[in-house]
Amino acid sequence: MKLWSISMRNLRIRIVSTVLTTLAIAVATGLYAAIMLMAQQTRDRYEGSIGGYQAVLGPKDCSQLELLLNTIFHVGDAPGQIPMSVCDDLRAGKVSRRGAVRYAIPQARGDSISRWSFPVIGTVDEMFSLYEWQRAPLQFADGGPWAFSYEELQELGARLAAFETARRADEKDGPPRPIIDAKWKKAVVGHRVARAMQLSLGSTIVPVHGKHGEFGYHEHPEAACEVTGILAPTNSPLDTTVFLPLSVHLLVGGHEGGLFKVEIPAGKNPDDAAKLPVTARQLALTAILADPKDHLGAQFLRRDFGTRPDAQVAWPQDVIPKFLQQLGNAADWLEIVAQLVLVVAAMMIAVAIYNTMNERRREIAIMRSLGARRTQIVAIIVGEAAALSLAGAVVGVVCCHLAALLLRSTVEEMTGVWLEWATFAPRELYLLVGVGALGALAGLLPAWKGSTTQVADNLSQTY
Amino acid sequence: MIHLHNVTKSYRQDERSVLACDVTDLRIEKGEQVALVGRSGTGKTTLLHVLAGILRPDTGEVEIAGQRIDTMSEPQRDRFRGQHIGMVYQTFNLLQPFTAYENVMLGALFGRGAGHAAEARGKELLARVGLSDRMHHRPSELSVGQVQRVAICRALVNDPEVILMDEPLGNQDRTTGAQVLDLLLQLAHEGGKTVVMVTHDPDSALRMQRTVDLATLRRASS
Repeated sequence: MKLWSISMRNLRIRIVSTVLTTLAIAVATGLYAAIMLMAQQTRDRYEGSIGGYQAVLGPKDCSQLELLLNTIFHVGDAPGQIPMSVCDDLRAGKVSRRGAVRYAIPQARGDSISRWSFPVIGTVDEMFSLYEWQRAPLQFADGGPWAFSYEELQELGARLAAFETARRADEKDGPPRPIIDAKWKKAVVGHRVARAMQLSLGSTIVPVHGKHGEFGYHEHPEAACEVTGILAPTNSPLDTTVFLPLSVHLLVGGHEGGLFKVEIPAGKNPDDAAKLPVTARQLALTAILADPKDHLGAQFLRRDFGTRPDAQVAWPQDVIPKFLQQLGNAADWLEIVAQLVLVVAAMMIAVAIYNTMNERRREIAIMRSLGARRTQIVAIIVGEAAALSLAGAVVGVVCCHLAALLLRSTVEEMTGVWLEWATFAPRELYLLVGVGALGALAGLLPAWKGSTTQVADNLSQTY
Repeated sequence: MIHLHNVTKSYRQDERSVLACDVTDLRIEKGEQVALVGRSGTGKTTLLHVLAGILRPDTGEVEIAGQRIDTMSEPQRDRFRGQHIGMVYQTFNLLQPFTAYENVMLGALFGRGAGHAAEARGKELLARVGLSDRMHHRPSELSVGQVQRVAICRALVNDPEVILMDEPLGNQDRTTGAQVLDLLLQLAHEGGKTVVMVTHDPDSALRMQRTVDLATLRRASS
């Protein structure tokens, strides 16, 4: 027999009080663990997700945070458009000699697929050859990339521009509008998209415009694409992305109005601008992913786009940590609330055990008469409090992870964070130890009361 | 073995000091079985608690097994009590949530330790008193006689030099009580233990080797 077995027995004979107090601790710990889990995984997700992005170029009339949240994390609608001339200039090294980039990959975003609204990104095949996620090209879990080069994009852009210019000039015998080539109807999908929609190689996906169930929502059956590749999991928004050739995005029905980024010249109105000829360099993009060749190049890029009127450059490594700092502050406040709830629960333990002290005076006196020291009585009662709170803490943490398992789809829909329910952080171990210690601390008051029981006075009662 | 000299113990009641125990001189030899008798209020139980180290005397010396327990600190007295003294109470004082065996082992836990040797001794004692098949029953599932036998086993599990009993037969019928007392005295005799019993019952007192009336130990002035 050990002292702790006496503690356990005492908890067992007061089973109702034990269960209720354990539940209180479990709720408080679960709340705390949930805040920790959400904050940590959100931070990991956001910090981890910017690993593949050096510089993002986008429209000038939005904040850098808005641009990055939309481009990297698919939050909200695209904040605006930039002309393809920006991409051309970057690739040609025309921005500045030191501003040369390793790659400049155009992206256009507008449609989505499925009721989960997985975003569809139109881009070129350099996304799978030059772009680097965590210092390596994107890995495929199955299949491989489709083919659509930047040169093909330029060629298609020229044909579209010729058609559009003729249409604007009301020419009857202008060139025909290009149509979607069958070889372009290919898609690479993120790991989570494939899992959620049960896609495999050869499956067909149909982009949709608008949000499921909302006014204006419609499918683009003419742009139905065959899945050629499924990306390996990255635990980033890439997992929920669908990549199509930019040509599909440009040629899908309903996108005609926004294909070209036309600045209204001074002294002209929008109607006048709608009649101006266009070129391939005016094709509208929503973002460009760029990677400066070196640190100095990044500085030049920053300087050059500080004055350039048609685009701005945003640096995820600068902007996102500041954003996370703000999120972290909110999480810190939530943590403080959870800590207060824990303290209240610990006080409940103290009260629950303290209230039993009167009825336990004889039991304590008997143990003292058998030779139990005051310190042993304190150990027994503190042990009860610690065991109670530790059990509650374990239940709370386990429930938190079970909740993460059950609610992760909902959470992802709301926040974009796919919760890793089976991942236990070291902080959770500290939480268990901390809650156990807090419970032990709460047990000190009743333990002190118990240890001061008058032995002689309480031995003579009968049971 | 036991020597008390000029021991007094008072307690406060309504602003007054009441002398509960007053012993000028009492010597009990090793292995002796002594009954302490006296009218109610003569301080029998208080004296027993002083002997057990539960109460510290206001004055005087208390020596047990060659050690002055009146000069010991409380933790020292607790440890001494656990290792050298076994106690049996009128109300048995078993803990209800624990089985007979666990109650016996509680004595070992707070005494010389509840290791394998103590476990074996606890089972052996329960077997000696005929409770082998009841050791995993709770006190509420045992008869009064059985509960008293469990209390005796608990008192003996640490192999103490001194057994202190406070009206051990108070709650039993005469026949059962006599049997249990005989059993305890036999076990104590076999182990060469000193037994001090507080009792009102003349028949029980007669079973002891010597009877001491507490009234005869008080100072003339008290």
